[in-house]
Amino acid sequence: MASAEIVDTPLNRDALEARIAPDEHGAVCVFIGQVRNHSRGKQVASLEYRAYMPLAEKQLLRVAEDAEKRWGCQVALWHRLGIMKPGDASVAVAVSAPHRAEAFEACRYCIDTLKALVPIWKRETCPDGTWWIEGEEAFPASEER
Amino acid sequence: MESALPEGSAPGEPPSNQLRLIGAHMPSSGGLSSCLLSGREIGCTAVQLFTGNPRQWSHPPLAEEEIRAFQNAREETALPFLCAHDSYLINLAAPDADVLDRSRNAFRGELERAHALGIPWVVTHMGAHLERGEEEAVARLIESLVRILEETDAAGCTAGIALETTAGQGTGLGWRFEQLGAVLKGVDHQQRIGVCMDTCHIFAAGYDLRTEDAWENTLKEFDAQVGLSALRIIHANDSKKGLGSRVDRHEHIGKGEIGLKPFARLVRDARLQHVPVVVETPDAHTMHQVNVALLQRLAAGGTGVFVEVELCGHFSEAGPLLQMELPENTSLQQLAEILEQKDARLAGLSACCQFAVNHEFAERGTLLCEGDRVAALPPSSGG
Repeated sequence: MASAEIVDTPLNRDALEARIAPDEHGAVCVFIGQVRNHSRGKQVASLEYRAYMPLAEKQLLRVAEDAEKRWGCQVALWHRLGIMKPGDASVAVAVSAPHRAEAFEACRYCIDTLKALVPIWKRETCPDGTWWIEGEEAFPASEER
Repeated sequence: MESALPEGSAPGEPPSNQLRLIGAHMPSSGGLSSCLLSGREIGCTAVQLFTGNPRQWSHPPLAEEEIRAFQNAREETALPFLCAHDSYLINLAAPDADVLDRSRNAFRGELERAHALGIPWVVTHMGAHLERGEEEAVARLIESLVRILEETDAAGCTAGIALETTAGQGTGLGWRFEQLGAVLKGVDHQQRIGVCMDTCHIFAAGYDLRTEDAWENTLKEFDAQVGLSALRIIHANDSKKGLGSRVDRHEHIGKGEIGLKPFARLVRDARLQHVPVVVETPDAHTMHQVNVALLQRLAAGGTGVFVEVELCGHFSEAGPLLQMELPENTSLQQLAEILEQKDARLAGLSACCQFAVNHEFAERGTLLCEGDRVAALPPSSGG
């Protein structure tokens, strides 16, 4: 069963991986996205993720279910919201499949697709202020509300 | 935001007076008095309630404290109009002698409870013939009503009976106006018998209300067969099913087969100005407030729809949540344009955003309805 969760607490890898990998699966592939200390040529002090929650968790689960159907694998997706520092995990994809090819492909698919389809936005705090990042564009953000 | 509607959007219609009574059937999970308190809280000026469990035959007499609490709540809320709805089990036209007897006893109980609570009207459906002869069933119904009225008259009961128009589902009686008229004539007790018109039911029964002409014809027919003077209560419900479907499925005002305009016409019709309007639409706890507010706005001359818009990403800088009144039949595309004109910070919204309505993605052509929750979603950057 596909699982998807959006939380405001740090990643617990054991809990995530416990959701996948039954004994008949020979491959486990885990992708973790973490906060980078630079972006658009600037130092990043912190990042904040905000979501449109009524749709975000639903969309995340749809991505997981879709991958399961296409590759016959098991998928657990995780996304963190709130303020994070460089080095913190913000997103995780865990996939298990009978063989490694499906596991790699499904894992790649999940991270690429969730970035496009799940309504979550990032705010980067750099030396020159805070910016909303939307696709390729950045917009100035007011200070913390 | 300020209204997007032009001033005086209902040409030729006088602004309705403040006395139009509009409310809802309130759930009684917290005791009878809670119906009044919660009704008042959501802005009702009329409340309908069950005075007993609508799926039970017998009820113990109301406790003194319950009656006192109800009277206190009535004083506190100053609700100008109350009515009760009877149990679903009651069939005053039942062919089976035993069921008929139980129905008559139970309905007497309904009237007695209403009287004890000071509720002037009990709404009842007209029963069903159950394939055992419609004419005989109507005769039995009339006999039931005459008897019950006589007996309760004698006991000093003043609560009246409002016979409700039905959808004509199954073998139910009362879906043709002439049948209602015949029963009224047969009972002949003007003070204590009247009619409740349910818009969903009459529409499902085949009486159209969607255009000006249709409404006039339906009202004329009602007046000829039943008499407008007998009309005591209106149940304002939209219909999930089509005209003449004879299937009774209530829908939120403006969201069903009847649509918004006929309800505006209804609550502004001077001929019905004195008749309280009660909604019995789904999702009472969340949506009664929306439907009641909508009817009140329509009565006051507004034709717009109220929606809530959540702005996401950098557009949230313009205020994350907007309450907006839009003209009827505004599409998401038009909303995007209205938003861009409203605030410079929303420039570019139409080009880049996807939209969600009620928590699902929606096409630009989607027409917005009362109470819709819209979200404007710029390209995401999660991960």
